[in-house]
Amino acid sequence: MSGRSTPQSPRKPGNKTTAGNRLSQQSALRGNDNVLASLRATQIIASKPVLPAELIATILDYLPVPDLLTCARVSRRVQEMVYDDTRWIHKLKTLRVWNEAEARQRVEEAMKRKAEAQRVREADEAKRTGVHLQGSVNGIAGGGVTLFDAGVEETRYKRSLEQQHPHLPPARKMLADGFDELAISPSSPTGNVWDAHQALTILTQVRSIRGRARQEFGKVYGTLAPLYLNLVRSKRHSDATVFRIFRDPDQQAKILAALKQFARCDDSGDWQDREQKLDTIIAVFETAVLREFEQGFAAGDIDGRMHRYAHVLATLNAGSAAVDFFVSHHPVMARQIQVGNPLDCLEAVAPGHVDLNPVQMFFENLANKMVEQAEVIDRVFPETIDVLTPFLSRMCEEIIAEYLTALIDDARGRGSETYVKAVAGSFEQGLRFVASLRSTKASPPDFHDKAQRILASCFERYFESYIAQELSVFNTKSTAEVTHWERELSEQEASKESFFMSNLNRQQAKRDFLSSFKKVVMMPVNVLPAFNASKASASKAPANPGVADTHDKESRTSSSTLDGPLGTQHPKPEAPTTELAAKAAIMNSRLEGIKSLFSIEVALSLTHLAKACIERMAPMVRMGPPYSEEVKEQCNVIFITMLGVLGDRHVKNGFDKAVGHLSTYNPREVRGVKARLEGDDTATGSGHGGVEPLVTFLELVNVGDLIQQMIDVFFAQELVATKLTEADDFLSPAVKQKKHFEQMLDERVAAGLNRGIDVLMDEIELICATTQSPTDFNPGATSSSSSNGAAPAMVDIGVSRTATEVVEMVNSHTSMLVGSTDKHMLDVFTQEVGLRLFAVLCKHFKRQRISVDGAIKFISDINHYSAFVANLRQKPLMPYFQALREMSQIYLVHIDPPATLFGNTSKAKRSSLLSSKGTKTAAQAKELATIIADSERYRGIFPSEEVYEFAERRADWYLVKAYVESALYGVGCSVM
Amino acid sequence: MAGEGEQMVKLVSSDQVEIPVERKVAERSMLIKNMIEDLGAPGEEPIPIMNVSEPVLRKVLEWCTHHKNDPAPTQDDDADSRKKTTDIEDWDQKFMQVDQEMLFEIILAANYMDIKALLDVGCKTVANMIKGKSPEEIRKTFNIQNDFTPEEEDQIRRENEWAEDR
Repeated sequence: MSGRSTPQSPRKPGNKTTAGNRLSQQSALRGNDNVLASLRATQIIASKPVLPAELIATILDYLPVPDLLTCARVSRRVQEMVYDDTRWIHKLKTLRVWNEAEARQRVEEAMKRKAEAQRVREADEAKRTGVHLQGSVNGIAGGGVTLFDAGVEETRYKRSLEQQHPHLPPARKMLADGFDELAISPSSPTGNVWDAHQALTILTQVRSIRGRARQEFGKVYGTLAPLYLNLVRSKRHSDATVFRIFRDPDQQAKILAALKQFARCDDSGDWQDREQKLDTIIAVFETAVLREFEQGFAAGDIDGRMHRYAHVLATLNAGSAAVDFFVSHHPVMARQIQVGNPLDCLEAVAPGHVDLNPVQMFFENLANKMVEQAEVIDRVFPETIDVLTPFLSRMCEEIIAEYLTALIDDARGRGSETYVKAVAGSFEQGLRFVASLRSTKASPPDFHDKAQRILASCFERYFESYIAQELSVFNTKSTAEVTHWERELSEQEASKESFFMSNLNRQQAKRDFLSSFKKVVMMPVNVLPAFNASKASASKAPANPGVADTHDKESRTSSSTLDGPLGTQHPKPEAPTTELAAKAAIMNSRLEGIKSLFSIEVALSLTHLAKACIERMAPMVRMGPPYSEEVKEQCNVIFITMLGVLGDRHVKNGFDKAVGHLSTYNPREVRGVKARLEGDDTATGSGHGGVEPLVTFLELVNVGDLIQQMIDVFFAQELVATKLTEADDFLSPAVKQKKHFEQMLDERVAAGLNRGIDVLMDEIELICATTQSPTDFNPGATSSSSSNGAAPAMVDIGVSRTATEVVEMVNSHTSMLVGSTDKHMLDVFTQEVGLRLFAVLCKHFKRQRISVDGAIKFISDINHYSAFVANLRQKPLMPYFQALREMSQIYLVHIDPPATLFGNTSKAKRSSLLSSKGTKTAAQAKELATIIADSERYRGIFPSEEVYEFAERRADWYLVKAYVESALYGVGCSVM
Repeated sequence: MAGEGEQMVKLVSSDQVEIPVERKVAERSMLIKNMIEDLGAPGEEPIPIMNVSEPVLRKVLEWCTHHKNDPAPTQDDDADSRKKTTDIEDWDQKFMQVDQEMLFEIILAANYMDIKALLDVGCKTVANMIKGKSPEEIRKTFNIQNDFTPEEEDQIRRENEWAEDR
């Protein structure tokens, strides 16, 4: 302990010496070898500066182990520094044998035990004083507890060391002796069996104990240092002791590995030289062993030499050399076996296609080889070395990558479709290949993931161009599909047009002046060809929008001389001959063509394309993090593109066209002819139900709806189910685009329906105007003039033909929509239809003349209407028709015609009116007036004025008007 | 003012001798570098180096001049690369061929002035001096009193017999 003060105290005076003093000192030093040197030296030593402790410690860091321990003998102070545990722990750490966790655990255990011991001791020796306590701690330390205590004071530590001494030195002695013997007689290895074994395992036996690091290091050093030093000093490797003690290559490898590890703590002097030497020797040894391994490999001696030397190399340095050799000399790697010709896939197939069978064969071959090799590897290599992974990665790098390059580059030359198919196909085969691999015992648990990643790396360089290509392929294909279809459609239209027109022209050319004459004369009759009830089937084939059969009844225009340019294949259409007729025919055919304005087949083929693309790309998700995101994105992009092409280009165009066609439809004209024809032709007349454009439009809506559902299913199955996109992610572009598509569809449908309703109402009006005979509701009147319709008999109280037809018409249209559009929209549509129907009916009724007798029929008509409306299940509509029913009663009220009907002058009439207030007529008129004025009845649907208007339609109105009015206003007065 | 490198600073040794020196040279010492940074106006105020006498300071500055263009020491050289070589550059070796007193003074000065590279060189030199010496020789060299009894000393020797170089 005395040393602690010594370093500083002489230092101070040394500093404060004057320059002169110092000079004299220096001169004295210079004359060191003088005769008086010894005398002066004593003087100098006294004033020599002494380095502070931390500097000494630093200096000690630079010392090799033996010198370090020599220093320990210099003084207690230096010994303390040398024995400092951290110094030795550090050395053990550089050897990588120090286990911090273990050390900590030991310390904790020791603390626990110590605390326990302390409690026991306190209980036992409660009488003793604190001074005695100290001694007893040492007593326990002697029992081995303080061994682990890192925080012990220096003295206690030393004392415990001393106490251990009696049993420690013998072990060391033995150790040291062993090596003495070894050093002296290295040629007798048999005598050193114990040592040899010790040397092999010493590094694994090191215990991490704080406070004992030096002893542990001592054991390692004592065992390995002689061998190490001997080795690095030996001239040739055969001279080295290690190779004499250890004959077995396995042991040699072990000891060399141990020495290599030991060399890490050799940090003094020419350590680089020594390490280099060691490396050289190890390299020589490795080469020798590897040669053995190679011979074994060549001989196919799997369980013999290969196994043995693989293990030796594994012990030496994890066997990388053996693995390398094994991997690179495998017959597949060495190209001794041809696994497959990449160009097989592209030969003898149609352009744009790839035959994936050869690829499959190729990968299957490889997989078989791999499985074989896995077995061999298990037999040859120890379980600590993962050979299969480098083997696989090498295989991917060389064989597979080469194969792919040949295949894909060639495919690229054959067009992008071939390219994407080749890439996707081979990737999928690759995945299958990976899945079929069998892992070896040494393979890490995530071998398959790793293998997949290795494989993916082969595809990495194609990835970017692949997904770009995929998109462009899809784009071009889908656009081509739609364009092709559009062109076909417009061609058809054009050809039809020209078909009609050309007939016209030729006809015109033929009968030049006659036709112009006809045009003028016959126009009203011949304006439009008959609108043949289209029996067009629900066929959605875009290729054949039904060609209108023109049923021109006029014999003059029958064009027997002409065969239409297209006419031969179809049920022969008779070409119209006038310009207007031609145009009408064109329009007609257009209307029929509405349903083919976009086709479900095109949509289907688009979704098929997209599905193919996405399915090709989907496996790429497994390529790993940066790529999978990109793949997902790209899949979404494809979906969006598909929606764009399908929606904006195809369906939207189709709808727009359909709406356009619908709005040009004029049912009156068509129906005018038709009605006339039907009047002639058909007895039943009401056999068909429908405004063709609306029917076809509704069919179109159906198709649109089908497409939308298809998209929905596609989205759910291809994108959501495969986790390419999130269904709930409202920010996802795919979802957005899908919404957009649906919205677009709904808008178009709404617009179309709006037009459709217009058309439907026009149609109804037409029916009303044409089929309602005046006698329907007024049977008593001019029954002789009615040509058809209800029998004039009063007993007929059934529904009139008009009502039946109208209801049928509306019904057929509304029911057509059910299930094709969404509920909300359907409701809106039905309500609109109902309201408009109501308006049309009101308008219609106001045109009729209704007698009391006809009222029965009228009421049954109205009941028919309202029953139909009730079937629609639209609450808001009900009041209207109920009001209508209530209103209908005004016709039921029988009013006897006043007696003075024809005989009286107006003056007399007036007087009689005034006088006969109490007559029967007046009373009945009053009843009617009550009904008219009772606005409660009509629930606000009809104001009294409107009911009055209806009342005006009574057949006998002019007879009773005065009475009713007087009653009405009289009632009004009386109320007032 | 010229570039920072040619700027001069004045150092004052413990025996009041003023030594002008290039700033770049002086800044090999972290002590001086920090001081210059703290002082703000370098060159005017002389910087006192309290614990170092003129000859030692000159010697240290000689070393600094020679090493003024060395790359700055990296911070992480302590980590695992405690593989310290006892190799010393030839110039440094020659530089360190001084008497032991001077050597110790230089080490102390390097320690005080915080010149890590010089301290390393000094320590290595000392370590080389110790190598292969007996405890008695070491004691003599470093002026250390032996406070062991011969028995104790022998005990330590036996304790560490494993390390003896054969």
